Amino acid sequence: MLERGLEEKYYVLNLGPQHPSTHGVLRVELQMEGEFIVKADPDIGYGHRGHEHMAENRTYLQFLPNLGRVDYLHALAYNQCYCMAVEKLLELKVPERAEFIRVITCELNRIASHLLWIGAYLLDLGAFTPFLYCFDDRENILDLLDRVTGSRLTYCYYRFGGVPRDVDDDFLAGCKAFARRLRSRYRDYENLVNKNVIFLERTKGIGIITPEQCVQYGLTGPMVRGSGIPYDIRKCEPYSVYPLFDFEIPVGSTGDVYDRYMVRYREMEQSLRIIEQAVDRIPAGPIMAEKVPKRIKPAPGEVYVAVEAARGEFGIFLVSQGETAPYRLKLRVPSFGNLSILPEIAVDTLVADLVAILGSIDVVVPEIDR
Amino acid sequence: MLLNDLTQALGRLNLAKVAPGEYHKSGCHLEVEAAPAQMPEVARVMLEQGCFLESLTAVDFPEHFTLVYHFNHFRELCRTVVHARVPKEAAAPTISHIYPGANWYEREVYDLFGLTFAGHPDLRRILLPFEADFHPLRKKFAPSETPADA
Repeated sequence: MLERGLEEKYYVLNLGPQHPSTHGVLRVELQMEGEFIVKADPDIGYGHRGHEHMAENRTYLQFLPNLGRVDYLHALAYNQCYCMAVEKLLELKVPERAEFIRVITCELNRIASHLLWIGAYLLDLGAFTPFLYCFDDRENILDLLDRVTGSRLTYCYYRFGGVPRDVDDDFLAGCKAFARRLRSRYRDYENLVNKNVIFLERTKGIGIITPEQCVQYGLTGPMVRGSGIPYDIRKCEPYSVYPLFDFEIPVGSTGDVYDRYMVRYREMEQSLRIIEQAVDRIPAGPIMAEKVPKRIKPAPGEVYVAVEAARGEFGIFLVSQGETAPYRLKLRVPSFGNLSILPEIAVDTLVADLVAILGSIDVVVPEIDR
Repeated sequence: MLLNDLTQALGRLNLAKVAPGEYHKSGCHLEVEAAPAQMPEVARVMLEQGCFLESLTAVDFPEHFTLVYHFNHFRELCRTVVHARVPKEAAAPTISHIYPGANWYEREVYDLFGLTFAGHPDLRRILLPFEADFHPLRKKFAPSETPADA
């Protein structure tokens, strides 16, 4: 019996739900003619945990640890967005030192996320060695963040009004040492990957996304920057102390898989620049705002706050009705919008190329499923 | 300036409200209220101005649903929020033929709230299992009612 929408003349292939290239539980139902894809239908929701429903049923503070589990690879950006949303409703002013600490740790987390993506993505394409290099470098970040946040992956480090624990000089020196270390590895990455003929052949000219499609689908992050649009919330809608730092937004030109790879690769250097400037200029002072209410009960209102996460724009739409829990909390996750373009760009490609395209979207499936 | 262009273009549509928002409070530069039936027109204007659909969701109030659309622009920061009140048990028109990206967002709203979109090409559940018979973000939904716990 054929399910709805399936045509008998095509070969149906399930990519996933347990497929190495989907990086989580994602199924893509492919209808194929020979090895070419006629229709691709992503089936998501295998890991739906009801985060938005949970938000309505617990206090503001109780919901904070959930944020580290929405996108576990860039957990700190999600922490930050939620804290910013609540701080905006409470009209709390975060001390500058806390903002610097947030920026340093968030950027470290971004590099860790990109490193993991590069390693795992190249694994998809059949290259095993870069994965070991990436995880070796990423391990350094995890050790650094472990020192201040107490965890290695699902961070829950920021609080409403600041951060709970100060960083020490060893951490700051460690950040500088890490920057030196990662820079010394660029030559390896370039020789191993960026100039690798097989890699170039497999990534150039496929999965092209036009700027018009970016608007139609509301793509964000490296997806839109790969297509040449310099949309980065850190610059376009500056938050925290990002305006104090000098950094660039890498963009691509053709919008293919290779451009998206290069955008992420070059973003790591920009994050390092931010970290170094922040470490040099971090001011002394308090790390927590004064007069943070014990019971968080924001006045009625609506707020939309967005941050630039590793995968794109993460936004929180929060409706408060003056209760101890949000009336409605919507998590606008970047991978959801980014994946929704797959049915369009997958058509007429080979299955092997679909793996390269799907990987280049950099989906974190638990984030899509929420 | 985009804000002025949008205000003018939306002003021609005879909407209930087109007013500058308090950005430092709400995060939105322009606040709009529209009837659900006007949403395709609004979406068309937003697309003409080059805005992208940032987020689409709903809020369940006791008397009605409110659909909340956020639009933003890649080149110039101008977030527009559009509220559209939909009576319970009524359908809202789809905007997925204008913004293909709205297709999944509308499926999500249908899935979580049970609010239907007239003219949507493929209104299936997206996050919950296809055979689920509840809509978890409705306020009257209690987790203990789920079949899994029964």
